[in-house]
Amino acid sequence: MKTYSLTRRLIIAVLLVELCSLLALIGIASVYEGISHFRALDVTLRGRADSLLGAVQDSEDPEDNVMLYGVEGLAPRRDIYIVRDDRGRVIGSQGWPDGEQELASSDTREFRNLTIGGIRYRVIRKPGLRIVDPGDAKGGVARHVTILYGSRTHPVWERVRNAIAFYTLSGLLLLAVTGVVLLHLLRRGLQPLYELAEQAGGISVNSWNLGPSSQARYVRELEPLVSAIESALLRLEQSFAQQKQFVSDAAHELKTSVAVVKSSLQLLTMRTRSAKEYEEGLERVKVDSERMEELVAKMLTLARLEDGGEQPESYRTVKLGDVLNDVAEHFQTMAHFHRIKLVVNSDISALVLCDPDQLRLLCSNLIHNAIQHSKASTEVRAMITVQGDEVQLRVEDDGEGISEDILPHVFDRFYRGDPSRSRRTGGTGLGLAISKAIVLRYHGAIRLESQPGHGTSAIVTLPLVRSTTKRLEHGSARNSQKKIATS
Amino acid sequence: MRILLVEDEIRLAENVAQALRDGPGFAVDHAEDGQTGLSLAENLCYDLIILDLMLPKLDGQTVLRRLRERGDGTAVLILTARSERSSIIQLLNCGADDYLSKPFDLGEVIARAKALIRRGKGMASPALRLGDLELHTGDQSVFRAGNSIVLSPMEYRILEYLMHRPRSIVSKRELLEHMYDFNWAHHSNVIEAHISNLRRKLGEGTNPPTIENLRNRGYRLVLESTNSREPGSEPA
Repeated sequence: MKTYSLTRRLIIAVLLVELCSLLALIGIASVYEGISHFRALDVTLRGRADSLLGAVQDSEDPEDNVMLYGVEGLAPRRDIYIVRDDRGRVIGSQGWPDGEQELASSDTREFRNLTIGGIRYRVIRKPGLRIVDPGDAKGGVARHVTILYGSRTHPVWERVRNAIAFYTLSGLLLLAVTGVVLLHLLRRGLQPLYELAEQAGGISVNSWNLGPSSQARYVRELEPLVSAIESALLRLEQSFAQQKQFVSDAAHELKTSVAVVKSSLQLLTMRTRSAKEYEEGLERVKVDSERMEELVAKMLTLARLEDGGEQPESYRTVKLGDVLNDVAEHFQTMAHFHRIKLVVNSDISALVLCDPDQLRLLCSNLIHNAIQHSKASTEVRAMITVQGDEVQLRVEDDGEGISEDILPHVFDRFYRGDPSRSRRTGGTGLGLAISKAIVLRYHGAIRLESQPGHGTSAIVTLPLVRSTTKRLEHGSARNSQKKIATS
Repeated sequence: MRILLVEDEIRLAENVAQALRDGPGFAVDHAEDGQTGLSLAENLCYDLIILDLMLPKLDGQTVLRRLRERGDGTAVLILTARSERSSIIQLLNCGADDYLSKPFDLGEVIARAKALIRRGKGMASPALRLGDLELHTGDQSVFRAGNSIVLSPMEYRILEYLMHRPRSIVSKRELLEHMYDFNWAHHSNVIEAHISNLRRKLGEGTNPPTIENLRNRGYRLVLESTNSREPGSEPA
């Protein structure tokens, strides 16, 4: 999309509105000017016609005819007129050769617009009465005259046009001034926005705040933006700090792992040893590097689970009970070795929609944890129950339990309830974090309940799938071959 | 020399302890968490403490601070996976003597451990000399007037300890504490046997220094047995 300037848009909008009102104003003003000028012209015409009537003199001729004289200077040169008495005789005219036809016309309106010889005139028709010899005994003779007096309309239009031009010019000047003033005002008014932009530009990994003195905070329109930016920054800072913590923890774990492998190797080469010693040493190095491999694999799993988007194409409708049985089968040997009884209750048919590999990983993480935290000749119970449209997987052990102050942290990455102990058992501190990431991916919930001294229960709830149409067997060769990373 | 190793990663601790025992022949005690480490250090029988930072129960920095607060001057070598300057500066300012970042080189751990112990005893050179007696801590060789003397590891360690503190009385108990870690049963006659062997081997030369036996007080490495005898002390 093309970039545009708010300032320019606002100024253009304001100027357009102003221009429209100006045009309307000019229109109205012109009409008014036209009307008033023509009124004035009409008045003038009437006056001129009256003067002309005044100039129609009593005459001395035998028939008491009226005459017209002494009109020099009475009518401007450019005006036209024609005067006729009631007997049809033209007694005077100026610049109007064919005025008689006009007099004869039946149009008796007072004012008319005529075009004579290509020139537009406004013409007044004025009937007049002249009493000849008013001092007579008979009271004089009344003589009717008709006056047609015309004046050019061109100068009137000229004046109207001038007025319009004046209005237009002053309007345009006003527009220009408004534009400049607006530009200036907007620039000043938008100052907080520029300031905000500048402050936002100063945000970096090392400084997560907008400046405390941000002027934008006090602008009502900008305040939501400022608080939105600030809350976004806060969230970013938190997640950044989390990431940083994770990277730092991960680096610590990896460095420690590398240190173990490296020191194991160096120890071997510190002096000459027997073949048997070398063999044993190399075996230890192998175990050490396997632990490192496991750590890396788990970190990658967790990263994929937490960062990757959903991949519904790998989702299958899986029978949770089957997966649990399968995983439990894997752990029977280990449980037997630790003299722990692994009891699985998976009779209820519960279908969940998920990636079967991840479900396996979840089950194996939980069962492995339970076995690791159990003492010899105790029980680990894994069971499935259905509640409403949710399926609940519960893995219980009779181990030493988790103390209350540790419980909230067990899902943290690299957290170890009792670090030295879990290190001895080879834990990476990622198992529960991975389990949580898996459960969250399928919109489920996971929690631990523990009674110190009596045991711990891991409780997972997952949304249940009712339909059996898309059901697929999970125990494919692909899945059973996959190595299960456990905690 | 006896070293306390506080490290929660057991495989790493095993390796470091093994290297310190095999190489310079130090006695090594291992603590898996900060609290255990701190209480072990209370015995004041260590010549060096190697301290990891990320420890369960009590982190390394707190252990270090508590050590220094109670006036323990034992040299401390920090093992850290953090390599940020600020944390290193903070640690050194807290009273650490040196640091190594993971993954470290075992040879370097040994060398630094030796250097810190040497410095702790007020010595600068890796070769210790007393009269015509010479002891090289690098290759653990001992010479008397230019002639090599072959010592058993324990004899060497006793001599090294005494060479670090010439002319002062070292009690049998102190020797026991600094020669053996907790995995050994402490039998004082073991020390006596080693001392007598050592004295015999050193005596092969013509002149002292030799080891004096001060009854009920301990042993003393002296340059001239006839000149520097303390009043009231009995000859061996």
